Amino acid sequence: MPLDRRAGRFARCIQCTRHDRSLPVRSFSTTAPARLEVLDSQTPAEAAPPPPAATADTPNPNTKPRARDANTVSTPAAEGQLLRNQRTTPVGSRRRRAAIASTGSIPFSQLPYQCFQEARAFLQVDRQEKLEHIRMQRQRIENLKLRAVPPQDEWIKENRIRDMKHRLEETKIAADMNDPVVKRRFEDGEGDLNKPIYRLLADRQWRAYRRKVLVQRITTMNVIPDVLPAIEPIVSTTLTFAGKRVQHGDFVDSRVSELAPSMTIQPYDKGPRLYTIAVVNPDVPDVEKDGFGYRCHFLASNIEITPTSTKVLLHKLQSETQVVLPWLPAYGQMGAPYQRMSVFILEQPKTEDGAGFQRLDAAKTRAEEPRYSRREGFNLLSFVDRFALKPVGVDLFRTKWDEGTAGVMQRAGIQGWDVEFKRKRVEPLPYKRLATVRYR
Amino acid sequence: MPAISPLSAARAPSTATLSLLSNALRDLRIAAPTVTQHIQSRYASHQAQGRANKAADGAGKRLGAKKTGGEYVIPGNILFKQRGTHWFPGDHAFMGRDHTIHAGAPGYVRYYRDPARHPKRKYIGIVFDPKQVLPQPPHAVRRRQLGMLAYQMPASVSEALTLNVEIAAEVPAVPVTDALSASESSDVALPTPPARLNKQARTLRRSRGILDSLHLTLRPGYQYRTSNHEIGRAAERKEALAQAKGKTTRAYDEFKKGDRFAAWRKSAVRIARNNERRAMGRGKKGGKK
Repeated sequence: MPLDRRAGRFARCIQCTRHDRSLPVRSFSTTAPARLEVLDSQTPAEAAPPPPAATADTPNPNTKPRARDANTVSTPAAEGQLLRNQRTTPVGSRRRRAAIASTGSIPFSQLPYQCFQEARAFLQVDRQEKLEHIRMQRQRIENLKLRAVPPQDEWIKENRIRDMKHRLEETKIAADMNDPVVKRRFEDGEGDLNKPIYRLLADRQWRAYRRKVLVQRITTMNVIPDVLPAIEPIVSTTLTFAGKRVQHGDFVDSRVSELAPSMTIQPYDKGPRLYTIAVVNPDVPDVEKDGFGYRCHFLASNIEITPTSTKVLLHKLQSETQVVLPWLPAYGQMGAPYQRMSVFILEQPKTEDGAGFQRLDAAKTRAEEPRYSRREGFNLLSFVDRFALKPVGVDLFRTKWDEGTAGVMQRAGIQGWDVEFKRKRVEPLPYKRLATVRYR
Repeated sequence: MPAISPLSAARAPSTATLSLLSNALRDLRIAAPTVTQHIQSRYASHQAQGRANKAADGAGKRLGAKKTGGEYVIPGNILFKQRGTHWFPGDHAFMGRDHTIHAGAPGYVRYYRDPARHPKRKYIGIVFDPKQVLPQPPHAVRRRQLGMLAYQMPASVSEALTLNVEIAAEVPAVPVTDALSASESSDVALPTPPARLNKQARTLRRSRGILDSLHLTLRPGYQYRTSNHEIGRAAERKEALAQAKGKTTRAYDEFKKGDRFAAWRKSAVRIARNNERRAMGRGKKGGKK
């Protein structure tokens, strides 16, 4: 067989998996990856070599791509195979993966480094103390609640309970903050956001960069103060059109924004909450007024979000109980400046007993509140004040005239797809001739 | 001068004659050096000249305010000329490359301070109404002017845009005419995403070759030419057409990275061909001999 005769010529081709590997191939490299790769290819799991019946012309139908482990791939070829065949990305750095591949599996907490283990022991003692604190604080809160106080001192008791609860939350976080396993789990994306420590770490991460970018975009594009006078974003949002993420302030093609987007709203404090989503465009051109007006492109209420269930599909919301104004595609007429489509997340107020959140009656709003069931001239500040909502999140995308806008407007039945805006001519000032004695 | 007679030649000349002679000869006498009484001094520069060490003062550059507060201006008008930023551009004003402040909108000039924006700076801005005042209260909605008029699109353009939708859409047209009624009918099915809109859908002909399928469009500069993306994809499309018929336009097999077997096959073919050529050459040489 020509293949066998040429086997020696391919001995240098270490990475190729087409050949019979029963003969040991000597690696000329002394660096770890090559050695490891050779070890990889000689693991007993893959002991069965590819059948030698494969010829040049007909590839063997029995060979299937080898399953790679995302934790142990350490060569570019293996990483490429992982990406292509299993569509997963490798975990951690290449050095780490090579180390994991070459050592046996030791749990992180049992790594044999003396200083590390001493520190672990110290932190565990500290954690036990904090758990004891937590137990004591809970007991004290219960005792204080049971204590009878004269009515004029009720406010002191309430303040005290509130402060003690705040202290309890702080202690809960302090108990877990020093745990390296917690940190690692969070960084791997496996943190359970029902627990306060992971929520805090996620919030911190968001505030470190992405929130700053969001606030900068909102401020420089003047969404604040044009739509609302001020906002303090507390929840993080992501906006997705047709499966593609939109960065804050991006231009979105009119055909892409023709269908309602999906959002993820991530709160960083515990418990389920009800939110209202309003999409307001503050750049509607008004020729009579020689200015701009507002238009509401979407309004929906009573959307329940928890730290672990964050996804909202705007087109899947209940049209009876949740949606006040269904999705109107974003459009910018020809010649008009770009339209800013601001998405506001508004938290609904708590119920009187403080247990749940008030629901907004969508049907009643549609029927009885003409100011908020009309799209044109929608004043978001008025809406927020009327229903005692709290703005907690904001997002932004932009739209302008492009080749699909006319089609989008026609399909949605919007007047004005054949309107073009042109700049008004400004009359020049009359020429003032100055005294000829001093000026020529 | 009395004539000197020969008779009186022996006598001495008269006093008058002597004085006359001494007068005449005085000028020929070598004079004794006179003593200078005044030493002349000169200074390095005069008041009229330029200074030796200090810089010269140039012509005045006519800096300063060109439009006063309350004056009506149009976009582009210069409001203030300055070196550096004594004044900053405020609402609807912009700054040029030499810090000149221009009006950005038609309106009335206002000179003001805005401590919320910056504690120390002075601004020049424009308001649209003479009664308006700057700075605006904090968190107020910005004042903006559209400055545009709405025109109906020319018939040809609007026709072209309508045409697209008629060809592409098999979607039932939503019968609402304005947004109000759209909001009421919440049971209307959401529009399906549009089919790919092709402006030249009508003019596409059956492609009988590359030249037919590359259609010429009017491009900027009044030239008719195929678009670059079409030229770039011509090879791809030719191959696709050939493959649809079960053929291929490729001279060589597609390169697969890592396929050493294919690489060996290719080099083996080449080596064999070279050997053949060499053998033929040797034969020729032998034949020639």
